[in-house]
Amino acid sequence: MTTRRISVGIMPIVTEGCVADAKTGVRLATRSDGAAHGDDLKDLTSLAVQGDRTAIESLLGQLRPMVVRYCRARLGRVSGQYHIADDVAQEVCIAVLSALPRYRDMGRPFASFVFGIASHKVADALRSSVRSAVPTQDLPDGPDEGPGPEETVVRYIEAEHARRLLSRLPDNQRELLMLRVVSGLSAEETGNVLGMSPGAVRVAQHRALARLRAMAELESIA
Amino acid sequence: MTTVHPRRPVRRYGPQEDPAVAETEAIVQALSRREPVELTDDALRLLAALIDDVDQRCSSVSITPSA
Repeated sequence: MTTRRISVGIMPIVTEGCVADAKTGVRLATRSDGAAHGDDLKDLTSLAVQGDRTAIESLLGQLRPMVVRYCRARLGRVSGQYHIADDVAQEVCIAVLSALPRYRDMGRPFASFVFGIASHKVADALRSSVRSAVPTQDLPDGPDEGPGPEETVVRYIEAEHARRLLSRLPDNQRELLMLRVVSGLSAEETGNVLGMSPGAVRVAQHRALARLRAMAELESIA
Repeated sequence: MTTVHPRRPVRRYGPQEDPAVAETEAIVQALSRREPVELTDDALRLLAALIDDVDQRCSSVSITPSA
């Protein structure tokens, strides 16, 4: 799968296509050598704070796919598109970039700082809910290799169903599953965002999933 | 004289060591890493659908004004 990215200066632009790298981003964030990766990210963050352009680009390149997915999962589609969510993700990246020179390492993973900002931006977007003037897509200049209309509709319906069930969970459980499962944060990173230990995250996610299962089962019976 | 204390009941495991918690962690970890997961119930199937939906590549329309 090819990815098209347009860059303005150092800031990678969040296009819808940028999530093509999402799987790589997840692996980077949650691979088993998490401690080693944490150190890499820490070094990268340290260089980025000092203004190293390559480090800033690399850091945002690693975090951006997770932010996009988080915003998409929280905000959903508008008129069948993820424009609003991607716009908010872009705002998060800009806010992170702006705050970078003032960032001080307090021993918490950088991801928790990023998702703290993301959480606020999403809350702002949900409050304002300005959902109009959706930009239209460019006409494709080649065959569409994506899923067909039927598959797209089924996926859309199931994703909306998942969002509806998640919205009925208590806030902390919903946020936990969004960060851990959808955005791909590790238990430690999720815990740092939510102010919990990794062990507490594992217990809470077990309870959240059990609750989600019970709700889904109830709906299938009804 | 030695006092013999009644034996304390042994707690088998705390919530964090609960095998069910560990099983959920394995599932969550796999979903998080986008690894194949056996979708054994509706909740997992819907979560997988949501993941699939937010990960998908759409058009490449940029909504950020160019410099």
